[in-house]
Amino acid sequence: MAIVLLAGLLAGCGGGSSSAAGGRLQVVAAENFWGSIVRQLAGNRADVSSIISNPSTDPHDYEPTAQDARTIASSQLVVLNGAGYDGWAQKLVDANPDPHRVVLNVGDIVHVAAGGNPHQWYSPSSVEAFIRAATARLQRLDPGNATYYANQQTRYESTGLRQYRELIASIRAKYSGTPIGASESIVTPLATALGLTMETPETFLDAIAEGNDPTAGDKALADEQVNARKIAVFVYNSQNATPDVKRLLDAAKKVGIPVTTVTETLTPAGATFQAWQSRQLRQLRDALAAAKAAASS
Amino acid sequence: MLATDATPQLTWDLARDVHQLFEFHFMVNAFRAGTVVAVVAAAIGWFVVLRQQTFAGHTLSVVGFPGAAGAIWLGVSATYGYFAFCIAAALVIALVPRGRGRAFSEESAVIGTIQAFALACGFLFASLYSGFLNGIDSLLFGSFLGITDGQVLTLLVVGAGALAVLIVIGRPLLFASVDADVASARGIPVRVLSVVFLVVLGVAVAEASQITGSLLVFALLVVPAAAAQRITSRPVVGFVGAIGLGLVITWLGLGLSYYADYPVGFWTTTVAFAIFLGAEIASRATRAALAARRPSPTVVGP
Repeated sequence: MAIVLLAGLLAGCGGGSSSAAGGRLQVVAAENFWGSIVRQLAGNRADVSSIISNPSTDPHDYEPTAQDARTIASSQLVVLNGAGYDGWAQKLVDANPDPHRVVLNVGDIVHVAAGGNPHQWYSPSSVEAFIRAATARLQRLDPGNATYYANQQTRYESTGLRQYRELIASIRAKYSGTPIGASESIVTPLATALGLTMETPETFLDAIAEGNDPTAGDKALADEQVNARKIAVFVYNSQNATPDVKRLLDAAKKVGIPVTTVTETLTPAGATFQAWQSRQLRQLRDALAAAKAAASS
Repeated sequence: MLATDATPQLTWDLARDVHQLFEFHFMVNAFRAGTVVAVVAAAIGWFVVLRQQTFAGHTLSVVGFPGAAGAIWLGVSATYGYFAFCIAAALVIALVPRGRGRAFSEESAVIGTIQAFALACGFLFASLYSGFLNGIDSLLFGSFLGITDGQVLTLLVVGAGALAVLIVIGRPLLFASVDADVASARGIPVRVLSVVFLVVLGVAVAEASQITGSLLVFALLVVPAAAAQRITSRPVVGFVGAIGLGLVITWLGLGLSYYADYPVGFWTTTVAFAIFLGAEIASRATRAALAARRPSPTVVGP
């Protein structure tokens, strides 16, 4: 056995199998929110899979498996979030160098470096930039179908995302300037796009998102904002409900502040990006409406 | 061509299995790095077991964790952190006088204190890291995915250096390890050898940590030598045997974690444990058989 192993080792054989099955592009996304968008853009011309697709998996401290490494090694297009969010995915790409593979790093596209807010799938403008970049990458890998991908992009932007865009526009028009509180920085890009004022200190939001303890001062401030009803709505990430978040949540419910949830990844797992986001936006809109009704009564 | 998305299946066709194993570059790199690490760790580990310095080896491996976490915090490769901290800690331990009896327990207490502090620092660095520290588990329990060509080269160069030093000091070190007083009387610089060996040990631990993680270094450092010394008391056979067992542990561990998606740290340690258990049973059976034949029991290799 040792001899066979050694022979394989010295020969360093392999070379990956980038050849597409049946001429279809092999695409993998590190997280399913990006994977869902690419799947809809690529239509029937590509096999798109996502590594993190289970709602109970935390992308922050994900440990890749050998299967994930094989999937990345055999893909022609790799989509990763970047911005320090999924360092494991970049490591898997680096360990399997292939000059023909295209890597789409979302952080690079929208100019968010490590240390910035990596949750760019909650930023509608970043999502649009991603759609353009992903289409361009698909066209580069498969130039024969360039027109097909261009049509897919137009259709996705005009039809697929219509409800998502309308919800954002209507919330912005009606509730711009409303003060809200949140459990972590995942909500910040969305709040900015909706014109809502994020009252919770940024350091508190970052600490919760990064799995650290918020400082005592931040905790006290967040508590005070809830108890004094300085926020109209409390938005929290139900996939990252630490004891600090649960405490804030209970306090908000106690004083009658409407609470709404967002999740890190697609929920349920099989949902499309736009169905998932639209459902969350409707819940947020309802919470904002309830807060407004309570305030005026 | 194999279906790329399907999980590879073990078959009875060994050539096909091995081809499947080396289909992807990350696995080729894992085996290259694993082979280098196994040889270096087992060779140096053989002296560790002989010199009864397993506790020092464990401390060095624990110190590797804050090194790696600190390196990631500062934005450099974890590899440098492992080497810097393990070698620095080896020098610190070298300052602690070795001894037996009361002095020995004093040494354990000092080393134990260093261990606790090192783990605490590692945790601090991990939480200071502003951003998302991926893979704290892999720093502690090992990972074989994502090893680049550059890392393999670093492991090879540093490992070859450590082995070269070991070859130069090997004979006097063996003498000094077996009987320090007699060796000292014969003019062998026992103290210098001890310091040099600790530094080489630091290097070996830093290398092994990158495959097995900080907490499971013993699977490659101590177990091969401990098992080999149970099977044979002849130094050369034991030394070569330890390296052979180290390679078996690493290759089987990597192969198993490729085909069955459990972490590599679990598989290497499990294979190591099974080998140690087998060696222990074999050695007891041999001794029992010999004792039944002759009244005075002696340990003899099979």
